[in-house]
Amino acid sequence: MLAQQLLNALVVGSVYALFALGFTLIFGVHHILNLAHGAVFMWGAFVGLYAVTELHLPFLVAFLGASFIAGLLSVALDWLAFRPLRRRAAPEFSAIVSSIGAGYVLMSIAQRVSDTKVMRYPFGSFPIEIYSVLGLRVTLLQLVIVGSVVVTVAGLVAYIFHTSFGRQIRAVAINERTASLLGVNPAGVYFQTFFISGALAGAAGVLIGIAFNSVHFLMGEPYMLRAFVVIVLGGLGSILGAVVGGLLLGVIQTMTIAYVSTNLSDAVIFSLLFLILLIRPTGMFGTLRRETRVARE
Amino acid sequence: MIEWLASYQSLVDLILLDCGLALSQFVVLRAGVFSVATPGLASIGAYTAAILTLRMGVPAAAGTLAAMLAGTAAALLLSIPLSRLRGVFQAIATVAMVQIVLSIALYATAITGGANGLNGIPKQVGTLQLLLVIGLIVYVLVCLGRSRVGYAFDAMRQDETVATSLGISVARYQALAFALSGAIAGLTGALMAYHNYSVVPEEFGFGMLITVLAYVVLGGRHSVLGPLVGAFTLGILPELARPLADNRLIVHGALLMLVIIYLPHGIVDSLWIAYRRRLGRSAQSIIATKDIADGAA
Repeated sequence: MLAQQLLNALVVGSVYALFALGFTLIFGVHHILNLAHGAVFMWGAFVGLYAVTELHLPFLVAFLGASFIAGLLSVALDWLAFRPLRRRAAPEFSAIVSSIGAGYVLMSIAQRVSDTKVMRYPFGSFPIEIYSVLGLRVTLLQLVIVGSVVVTVAGLVAYIFHTSFGRQIRAVAINERTASLLGVNPAGVYFQTFFISGALAGAAGVLIGIAFNSVHFLMGEPYMLRAFVVIVLGGLGSILGAVVGGLLLGVIQTMTIAYVSTNLSDAVIFSLLFLILLIRPTGMFGTLRRETRVARE
Repeated sequence: MIEWLASYQSLVDLILLDCGLALSQFVVLRAGVFSVATPGLASIGAYTAAILTLRMGVPAAAGTLAAMLAGTAAALLLSIPLSRLRGVFQAIATVAMVQIVLSIALYATAITGGANGLNGIPKQVGTLQLLLVIGLIVYVLVCLGRSRVGYAFDAMRQDETVATSLGISVARYQALAFALSGAIAGLTGALMAYHNYSVVPEEFGFGMLITVLAYVVLGGRHSVLGPLVGAFTLGILPELARPLADNRLIVHGALLMLVIIYLPHGIVDSLWIAYRRRLGRSAQSIIATKDIADGAA
């Protein structure tokens, strides 16, 4: 029983990690708290769903296509919502407000498109196969979810830490001005990070949509709020932190629902967020010590 | 005239209640505290008033007073941990606080009525009472804004380090801003309970958080008139044209983006700056006011 719960926690947690990775990437590199990330995630699920139901594409193609389009959407978001603010060197408050507005616009368009309905992936769009491993019930979908998260994270780490593009991203993360003096084109870095972040969100959207078999225009909000917990737990801006934080949140949430109460799981999760901010605002792997706390007498 | 007013009475009431919430959000933003706890604090106020009246038969005046005290106390408690955090992290922590209050209201069914909320609260507040209370709040805020406290708030928002060097105890004034915000939110929550017949937990969620933020951003963060103008504009807009009402969320979202990008000081503060410029005030004073409206850049 406990092992089965832990397995479920691993699956849920890995999707949290996938969602939070894009969120933390943008914060870590550009110091923007992108509150429209949940809307991009939701649009990923929508595009994937429509690709399967309207265009009758195979699931794998729909998955990749949704991820790609969510990436482009995220880039468009950067151009429309954040770039004008960067030009003016606006305070961080402005970026947060602007992204909230953009998220609202995206959500209400989705509400229009879907007629406020809860939609489902058609039966059989993903093969249902159940394996029995060491007495545990494992579905093919769960394996695919965990597998694709592992592959994505590995790819992202390789990209950021082992390519020249990644070096540019890291340079901009440390200091955008200095990086541009050294010949890095910041506009290109913004394009990459927003595309990667959106693509990750879109992939997470499709996986969540098919795993819980429900796609609707409000689905981004709870994940957005949980992503706060994930990245604060792991440390804002830390890739490793987002992965470990996501898995940990999956475990905590599953255990609370299984052994305490479904209704209380939100209270537990967000109290945890509060506690971490108090005790260790940099999270487990954060290095932003200077930025999180202020010394006040 | 009277008939016209009567036909719009419910709209006027609604806008007045929103003004109360907007003022609560305004106080913290003016002091440079990035808190979005208003919905949570208003929820505490509304439940306090509703429970006192329904379970113990306390009269509305006493219930309102108790709600105000409860809001103040909760805000003061919240200010202790929050004073250690910086900008974005304050926002995240207060979002978490709103979620915690919401999920406790949903969980503690015996006290709060769970998802059904508390119903059948006798209506004891009309337009006149609302006008009186909001007028009183505005009066207090205007007086405070012109006193030492107002200047301290402005200094803190523009530059904390400078404020400290001027002998302003940032932590203490932040706590004061929080307490004010909590008192106003608690008061408005009580008015909502006595006006709407019922208190429902979902009402005080993420949606309210965004709406209230939109009022203050649209109206302006420096002058007390700002949040009032914001609440009136966004409240009346759907009544002016049917298409605006049908696409309410899109309009809110797009307005948030456009205003923060093209009119970052909000309607009232931008007009004020333009007016001062026309009067031909010395460059020095215009720059000073512009800085004030600009916030901590």
